[in-house]
Amino acid sequence: MHEEPYRWLEAIQNRREYIVDQMQGGTPVYAVSRPEGVLLLGVGTGRSKVFEIYDRHGFCALGNPVDIEKLRQAAIESAHTEGFQRAPEDVNLRRLVNFALSPLLKNSYESIFSPPLIVDGLFAEVGASMEDDVRVRLRFDGAPHFDVEGLLVASGDEEMTRRADRWLHENLPDEADLGWVVTYCLATWAAISDDGNFEDLEVPTGKVLTIPGREVEVALLDRKVAGAAKYRQLDLQTL
Amino acid sequence: MNGDFLDLLPTEAFPVLRDAKATAGGIEATTVFAFHCSDGVLIAGDHRATSGNLIFSDRTEKILELDRYSVMAIAGSPAVAFEMARTLQTAFEFFRRSQLQAMSLLAKTRTISRLLKDNLPAVLQGVGLVAPIFVGLEPGRVDTRPMIYFYDPLGAHFEAANYAGSGSGSGSIKSVLHYCETWRGPKPSGMQLPEAVNFANRLLMTAAEFDTATGGVEPEKTRFGTIKLLSYEGVRTISDGEQGEFWEV
Repeated sequence: MHEEPYRWLEAIQNRREYIVDQMQGGTPVYAVSRPEGVLLLGVGTGRSKVFEIYDRHGFCALGNPVDIEKLRQAAIESAHTEGFQRAPEDVNLRRLVNFALSPLLKNSYESIFSPPLIVDGLFAEVGASMEDDVRVRLRFDGAPHFDVEGLLVASGDEEMTRRADRWLHENLPDEADLGWVVTYCLATWAAISDDGNFEDLEVPTGKVLTIPGREVEVALLDRKVAGAAKYRQLDLQTL
Repeated sequence: MNGDFLDLLPTEAFPVLRDAKATAGGIEATTVFAFHCSDGVLIAGDHRATSGNLIFSDRTEKILELDRYSVMAIAGSPAVAFEMARTLQTAFEFFRRSQLQAMSLLAKTRTISRLLKDNLPAVLQGVGLVAPIFVGLEPGRVDTRPMIYFYDPLGAHFEAANYAGSGSGSGSIKSVLHYCETWRGPKPSGMQLPEAVNFANRLLMTAAEFDTATGGVEPEKTRFGTIKLLSYEGVRTISDGEQGEFWEV
């Protein structure tokens, strides 16, 4: 097959279609920079969507749970090895993504004789201020998208992802506290899960922090917390 | 994936010095101890590191936080001890993050044992001896209290009922602790934090009286020992300022 370029391209195209098809129905995840830190949100079944990676780094993802776990473990191993061999301050998201995680995903995607990693993840690094935060979306093909606008969304449908992203940029107030950020994210979550109609999606008038029958996972890479480890899971009751 | 950070390292944590012939004169850090008080476990140490008859530093930190619920007090070779502490810090955090649960207290004590055992060949060649005290709390369990463990250089760990000490100045300290706890009050285990902190500083000054390798505690210059408290809330450092306020009362 490798001797025939056309067949390789066809195989890759089939592979992409297979992965995109598998990702359909994956529930959205969010990474939003705020003055308090970077908020990570997913709707899962308890520590299944949002994770701590290293001192200043967190991760949320959708996709196949086994593949999410593989990517999570790879990120944790790379970060801790780097932090141990050099210093925790040397662990940064750009290097972690560009030199460890992107190649892993790209190799997996292009190795057409082995199963691909079906995963779409958001990584975040908290900095001293919002301008110093780093957010990156890393998809199954290994291509990183570094965000400069303060928030990232990933879902199983690219068109829905774009709509949710645009709606949040247009409607999420700068002064919204973390509870309101969760509320706005969950409004888009519900819209994506329902009919994808963002034109009629109204701005929430009261905080909604739960989804019936689902578990909302929220963590904050806390800019202000003392100590090296900035990640903490948020209790929704306190928001 | 077993959550063991040491498995990620390319070689053993403390490689054997295969061709070392002579006994090297290492820098030695000296008096550390821990005892139960009414608020938890108080862990204290002086600041002096020596090399033979030379004072190498009077600013050495020998009480090292490994994570929110565990502390290691080091006596012996700082080079190995600091590296050991750094390895343990990373190993505990790596386990917690990768396995999505904190490492148990027993597993932590055994990880320290493993590092000490790895270090044994160097110790037998005369360098790198470390005799730590480990203080930890089983996270998430309120039915247990903070525990004190001490180690021999081969890695065996022993639970201390009330107190433990290590380093060349610890002999006199352990005598005082034993006397106070057994025969004459106030018992250290019943002391409130301010009293326990003052008691710890007096113990360090007592050790310095008889051991040249213990030092760096001078209350008149607001220089106190390194003192930390482990309680159910986690590890708390008692700052020099706070110790100074306790000292003046």
